[in-house]
Amino acid sequence: MNIQTMAMSEAVGDVMRKLTVAFTEFEQRLEQTALLRKLARGRFTLDDYRRFLVELRQQVKDGALWMSRAASNVGEDHLELRSSLMRHAVTEHRDFRMLDADYVSTGGELETIQSAEKNAGSEALSAFMFNEASKPDPFGLLGAMWMIEGLGAVKAREWGRLAQRSLGLPDAAVRFLLYHGDNDLGHIEEFKEMLALVLPGEETARRIVRTAEVVGRLYTLQIEEMAA
Amino acid sequence: MGDLHDVFVTGTGAFLPGDPVPNDRMEDHLGRIHGRDSALGRRALRWNGVERRHYALKPDGSVTHSNAEMCARAVEHALDAAGMERDTLSFLAAATTQGDYLVPGHATAVQGELGGAAMEIASFQSVCGSSLMAAKSAFLNVRAGEHRSAAACAGEFSSRWFRPSFYEGTALVDAKGRLRAEADFLRFTLSDGAGAIVLSDRPREDGLSLRVEFIDIVSLAGRFDPCMWAGAAVETRADLKNSWAHQGPVAGHAGGGIALLQDFELLKRVIRAWIGEYLKKVDGGRIVPEAIDHLLCHYSARSLRAEIVSLLQDTAGMIPETKWFSVLREKGNTGAASIWVMLDSLMRSGAVKRGEKLLCVVPESGRALVGFMQMEAV
Repeated sequence: MNIQTMAMSEAVGDVMRKLTVAFTEFEQRLEQTALLRKLARGRFTLDDYRRFLVELRQQVKDGALWMSRAASNVGEDHLELRSSLMRHAVTEHRDFRMLDADYVSTGGELETIQSAEKNAGSEALSAFMFNEASKPDPFGLLGAMWMIEGLGAVKAREWGRLAQRSLGLPDAAVRFLLYHGDNDLGHIEEFKEMLALVLPGEETARRIVRTAEVVGRLYTLQIEEMAA
Repeated sequence: MGDLHDVFVTGTGAFLPGDPVPNDRMEDHLGRIHGRDSALGRRALRWNGVERRHYALKPDGSVTHSNAEMCARAVEHALDAAGMERDTLSFLAAATTQGDYLVPGHATAVQGELGGAAMEIASFQSVCGSSLMAAKSAFLNVRAGEHRSAAACAGEFSSRWFRPSFYEGTALVDAKGRLRAEADFLRFTLSDGAGAIVLSDRPREDGLSLRVEFIDIVSLAGRFDPCMWAGAAVETRADLKNSWAHQGPVAGHAGGGIALLQDFELLKRVIRAWIGEYLKKVDGGRIVPEAIDHLLCHYSARSLRAEIVSLLQDTAGMIPETKWFSVLREKGNTGAASIWVMLDSLMRSGAVKRGEKLLCVVPESGRALVGFMQMEAV
């Protein structure tokens, strides 16, 4: 390993450590929200699950959009990262349709989930993401991706299974959660490669971690707003 | 008030009752629920990696030692190792998950078994982390100059809570006679024994001592429901007004609220919380992974899932597996006692050299707690 590679790998390790701490803080805050506490305690109702789908969907729909905007603001020194963000956006931009289908499988009306408003937490989260994505070289958003993809890799399947267990739902009604649990397991290697494209750099590292912390707080607010 | 003193571990001791019991004879000691072999046992053993353990219960149900007695023997061994007499000991902190009595505290029972002169005592009840709570109390007492020396011990007599009578005729056993996983897994995980350390304001003149650098205990009980508990049924455990004491002992037992239980779904989340707390210590420079020569933890590296080990590597937090010292496989998981049983084995192995650093990590799933104790051999 030459000196440059060592500095890069040390910087990636440092950021990964801070991001992991941010994620575990995030997970603990989620644990305390009224809705997820009901889920963990086996007291989740069908209305709780429907509300979760409806209110999650409005923000999920924005995910690929802020990612595309972020890609468009990545300068030509980082074309590899730009490609990567674009690929991510393509993979995810129809995901909210899965939430629609899950909702209909629970007996809900398509019109209801499609016409619902963002809750206050979703508004804050989306607004923050679009604001970050509009900056030149918005590398801080890697921290946002870490948190949100971490939810997919670590939490989605767990939530899906718990909801199924409490409510006796068929797989067709929890596809979004189960699909993400399956899909995101390889994300850490890919994520480290993305970090390596923008690190080392003190200011970038700080911004990535800070963005992760803010996203964790705002995402929790979104779930808090789903108070049952 | 005087200055703070350096504090040294000058002796360690352990006591494990009877002969080691191999996997295929465990249920002879614990008993079989409705006479049937456990369906889960083998899976639990594969996960925890334990091959031998000790029980203070014989297959005929007779008891060889009480929890307090095991603790007293461990304290005597530690005093011996420190070159101290019982009557020079002026402070004893004792820890356990469940003592021999409901009341009074465990330290009274241990002192009763030790006999001898009056002294100050403190009782700590939690799960595995109670060991470090007692150690911190002993450490601070010596550090502040309240006592020149102190002992901290921890003991468990888990096997008695695993007898069939704790489960049979309760909501924990289904119509087919199968015990709920929340209860059965622990029967194959925990066993009996005690350990102790002696702390002093001076290092030993002959041989190695361990200068205590810090004991940090972090509890996340404000964020998680109980993960390993006794005293409430699985479904109602978050409701403290519905615990066994409110239902009464007979109804509490029938509802499955007396046995020791573990929520394995929640445990996965608690493990991540432990990792987070550990990485915070690394990030803040309190723990420097490459400076640690011996890591003691009563979780085996192999029971941590591969993705957690790889996460520790990715975050520059992993202490290489070659530096992990464990006697889990041959001496069992003795809960609160584990950390001192391991430290005692390590010290007596002769593997520790002057100048080396030891880190004890004590995770407690009870309600998401983790403790760290770092020492330097001097």
